[in-house]
Amino acid sequence: MGDKIEIACIIDDDNVYVNLVKRIIETKHLCKKLLVFENGKNALRFFEKVITNIKEEKVPEVIFLDLNMPVMDGWEFLANFIKIKNKFEKTITLYIVSSSINPLDVRKAKSIKGVKDYLIKPINISDFETIFEKA
Amino acid sequence: MLQNELFDNIMRDFNTGYWELHNDPDTEIWSDRFYEILGYHKKDVQSDIDYFLAHLLHPEDVDVFRDNFINYRKNAVNFKQHIKIINTKGDYQLFRCATNDELPVNIKSGANYVFFFEIKLEPDQTIKKDNFYYKETAQMTATGSWYVDFQKKESYWDFETYRILEYSDDYRPSLKDSANYYAEEFRQQAADCFFNCAMIGTPFNTEIKMVTANKREFWARAIGKPIYNENKEIVGIRGVFQDIDEIKSKEIRLQKSVDIIAAQNSRLFNFAHIVSHNLRSHTSNLSLLVQLIEDIKDPKEKEELVNEIKTISTNLNTTIEHLNEIVTIQTNNKQKRTPVKFIDSLTLVINGISHMISNGNAEIRSDFSALKEIEYIPAYLESILLNLITNAIKYKHPDRDPIITIKTYLKDGNKFLEVSDNGRGIDMELFKDKIFGMYKTFHYNEDAVGIGLFMTKNQVESMEGTISLESQVDQGTTFTVAF
Repeated sequence: MGDKIEIACIIDDDNVYVNLVKRIIETKHLCKKLLVFENGKNALRFFEKVITNIKEEKVPEVIFLDLNMPVMDGWEFLANFIKIKNKFEKTITLYIVSSSINPLDVRKAKSIKGVKDYLIKPINISDFETIFEKA
Repeated sequence: MLQNELFDNIMRDFNTGYWELHNDPDTEIWSDRFYEILGYHKKDVQSDIDYFLAHLLHPEDVDVFRDNFINYRKNAVNFKQHIKIINTKGDYQLFRCATNDELPVNIKSGANYVFFFEIKLEPDQTIKKDNFYYKETAQMTATGSWYVDFQKKESYWDFETYRILEYSDDYRPSLKDSANYYAEEFRQQAADCFFNCAMIGTPFNTEIKMVTANKREFWARAIGKPIYNENKEIVGIRGVFQDIDEIKSKEIRLQKSVDIIAAQNSRLFNFAHIVSHNLRSHTSNLSLLVQLIEDIKDPKEKEELVNEIKTISTNLNTTIEHLNEIVTIQTNNKQKRTPVKFIDSLTLVINGISHMISNGNAEIRSDFSALKEIEYIPAYLESILLNLITNAIKYKHPDRDPIITIKTYLKDGNKFLEVSDNGRGIDMELFKDKIFGMYKTFHYNEDAVGIGLFMTKNQVESMEGTISLESQVDQGTTFTVAF
């Protein structure tokens, strides 16, 4: 298997989008498992739990994070996630995936260390494949 | 220094006498031309202010010139004055005396100057003319002069001050009454200006609200500067009041329009952002879906995906309906206000959601005795009540039945509507800035759509009101609408 991604994670409240990504991953066999959280709070709770239980195999290699979400948005999740990021043995690559084309959002995201890239929705299927290959 | 050279050239072309003022110690350098005009040699006279006041200046001009000169030195107040200076032959020559702001070109000079422009006219004639111009100017610009003499403890007004302040000619102005010349909320400001001017010689130039004898308030520009005696002690204050009510009122109206435009602009900007974001999320799903359909070979799977289009289309429709409602609010505010009774609106709302109320075991208490009705768009009042009540029921506390208290009241002449509940409350620390945003929800409710409060805020604001809330987790939430 080597570099191939086993677990990916989507944090997004848009069900339609999440279902489409699920399908793409299934049809293209991009990874074995997909974790889905509908907002930052649920995702954060998961990652915090994983730290205390130390079950590394559960940790995803790549996260796709939406920005506009209810309860806890992407920025807030990011701020909290960065603090605990180093406690995982695996390197977790994080992409922001948003439909916001506001240049302020893009600049802000790119200035944060730990954000690999800012992807604007819609993403091409081929882009997804590239990300899963190189990650 | 090029700057200085340039300045010297200009001074030469200017062909006028001047003094160059220096500090530490205070000295004045008199220019060659200044001596020349009056026919003196440098050794004939002593080139300082005290000698000038005592021996060269006409006694009539001494008091005013001394004031002006000290104010210029100490407080950088520029001045213009006509003075008469005695020449070698013993005759008085008339000069127009002016300071730095009279410089003919834009030269930044580090030093301060006093210029002496000779006037060839007969002095008497000029002064008469001047007096005429002075009255004319005072009337045309609605500028009244005044003088307070600390030694005689008397105040003097010119004819225009009497006119502006609407006092009859036999009224005697006095320092004791001076508070009455200013609007109540500006008396402290006026007192501070006078005190600072009288005690430490700070001149003032400020906008202030004054009151006439007939209790009419108006905006005035008040300018004042200290008067000094021979010993450089402050012995009075002289100044002007200018009636600037018309200008100031325009300025205030303009500021109000600017505020309204800024608020509207920020709403528009917010709206544009919402439109772009909310529509984009559907179109990007659509585009992803199309890619997927093209990519998949199996016809059965393809058909399944086509069904997804329906979901996206429904979502897109909902979003557009929401946006439509918001646009309607923005354009509807021209709609006519009509008197609406709170109890009527509430009854309509309660009847409309009676099912929800009984299912949720909700109790609604209302008290509109303090304010029974209001001029409003009835549909908005219903919508505001509907949103706040349904929110209170949706987010009720898990351990108790919802009690919603609705009341109206008056405070400081303003009208308020208050809706409070005993629900689960909102964490204000976390969500303070997001509560009224579009598609922001704070609870794990399936039917939390996140449009209600956004609409409510837009409706309230389009009617020039405000909405605010206080909330404590596990205690409840109180929304206050100020009309």
